[in-house]
Amino acid sequence: MTRIHRSAWLLATVALVAVVAAACGSTTSGGGTTSKGTVVVAGFDFAESSILGQLYGQELAHNGYTVTYKPRLGKREVVAPAIKAGQIDMYPGYAATDLEYYNGAAGEASGDVTATVQKLNARLQPLGLVALTPSNAVDQNAFAVTKATAAQYNLTKLSDLAAIGDKLVLGAGPECPTRPFCQIGLEKTYGIHFKAFKALDTDGPLTRAALANGTIQVGLVFSSDSDLNKLGLVVLQDDKHLENADNVVPIIRQTVATADVKAILDKISANLTTAQLVTLNGQVELQHQDADAVASAYLQQHNYFS
Amino acid sequence: MSIFGAVWQWFANPAHWQGPDGIPTRLGEHLQLSAESVLLGAVIALPVGIALGHYGRFGNLAINISNVGRAVPSFGILVIAFQVFGLGDLPIILALTALAIPPMVTNSYVALREVDPDVRDAARGMGYRELAQLYRVELPLAVPLIMAGVRTSAVQVVATATLAALIAGGGFGRYIVDGFAQLNYPMTIAGAVLVALLALATELSLSGVERLLVPRGIRLLTAPTLRRASTFKVA
Repeated sequence: MTRIHRSAWLLATVALVAVVAAACGSTTSGGGTTSKGTVVVAGFDFAESSILGQLYGQELAHNGYTVTYKPRLGKREVVAPAIKAGQIDMYPGYAATDLEYYNGAAGEASGDVTATVQKLNARLQPLGLVALTPSNAVDQNAFAVTKATAAQYNLTKLSDLAAIGDKLVLGAGPECPTRPFCQIGLEKTYGIHFKAFKALDTDGPLTRAALANGTIQVGLVFSSDSDLNKLGLVVLQDDKHLENADNVVPIIRQTVATADVKAILDKISANLTTAQLVTLNGQVELQHQDADAVASAYLQQHNYFS
Repeated sequence: MSIFGAVWQWFANPAHWQGPDGIPTRLGEHLQLSAESVLLGAVIALPVGIALGHYGRFGNLAINISNVGRAVPSFGILVIAFQVFGLGDLPIILALTALAIPPMVTNSYVALREVDPDVRDAARGMGYRELAQLYRVELPLAVPLIMAGVRTSAVQVVATATLAALIAGGGFGRYIVDGFAQLNYPMTIAGAVLVALLALATELSLSGVERLLVPRGIRLLTAPTLRRASTFKVA
């Protein structure tokens, strides 16, 4: 084989690799019409983020955008630099946690979602990014009771616990007694003084087992955990906004965020609730369905595609 | 302030000596878990080891099986037992019992095998029946080695009982786990110190028990030559 032949082969191989690589980032676009533009939707490395990415992405695709997904790209430490560099166009963020990331943990986040997103946008503006209207769906520290406990004491929100806290045992990770978003906050903000505290784990199997066998009555979970329905747990509403507002909020590059794109994404955010997020997470994490199928079924069911 | 000063202050704080998180409560929990596990382990291991050593059969098989127990990590047993039995003391007691059994089986087997065959023959020749021979001749001679096995087990169990805190159990492990979670390093170190002290105390007190159990004659046999000689003179 001559030299020229060999370099031709090399060229062909390189071209092939490039084609395959381009195809790997799964790209979809709606209809057969010309695309309104390309949007690269990324997500964090957990199921909920993939579902949210699919919800926003599929609705964009339905409205004529070409969407490339980069699901499970990594943690915020990977995703945020990628969007700053323009390698991705948007990701589903969480208001308070993203604010504390972009402000270098300055402690600006609060339980007020509007104020938190406002401050987040002040940090995103110079980076050429913008946070859109936050959703009501929220993934944050939450306190759950069993349905039986909720019925027994007529509980729906955290302030209901103030009167009867001394009859109940709180269970959470061992760090809870020293954390402002856990036992300290419950005492200061809500005036709840529990009978005892049981050191378990943070939102893990110990907390679930202890709730199930009655060792504890109130347990720390995350508000959008996939197994809350299955375990018959009720999350008490954080009516005094103790927890930072980690509402789902799309974070997107300003050049991509046209009025049309904003309207499409805002529609998804406006209708999504935490309860729906629990169900969607359950379909992916417990029933092992694919995030894109779960998202598409949700969009169909809620008449986005009609 | 140095970390030692901080640990000292932790111990000096009277609040740490009372209540459900206090050192006495945690000590009680730790001792209870350890004692239950060692006792359960002894009930299983000692009869097996003694019988096998007495008859001198299947010893290698039993020791090899019980040594598999040494290879299985306690934490692994703990996690699996938690999946099966859920929250409570049972998973940790199972894990600790599995840890306690191998040294006791091995030591009691070896202890009975090491009894001088001439002594066995003499006992038989003097008309001892099988059980009497075991109880009155072989076991007294075997006590030091058997007790060494019990001691090894107990010290290991006391040191490992800290794992209980990982599945929401009590004991001194609570200080270590909670101290880590709360970035309260003096508390973590205090917990480690307490566990170390308790392991030492276990070793010493079981040595005391051993002294009580070993017949005087055998104690004299194994005592240092000088003391043995002088004791013989007095006696």
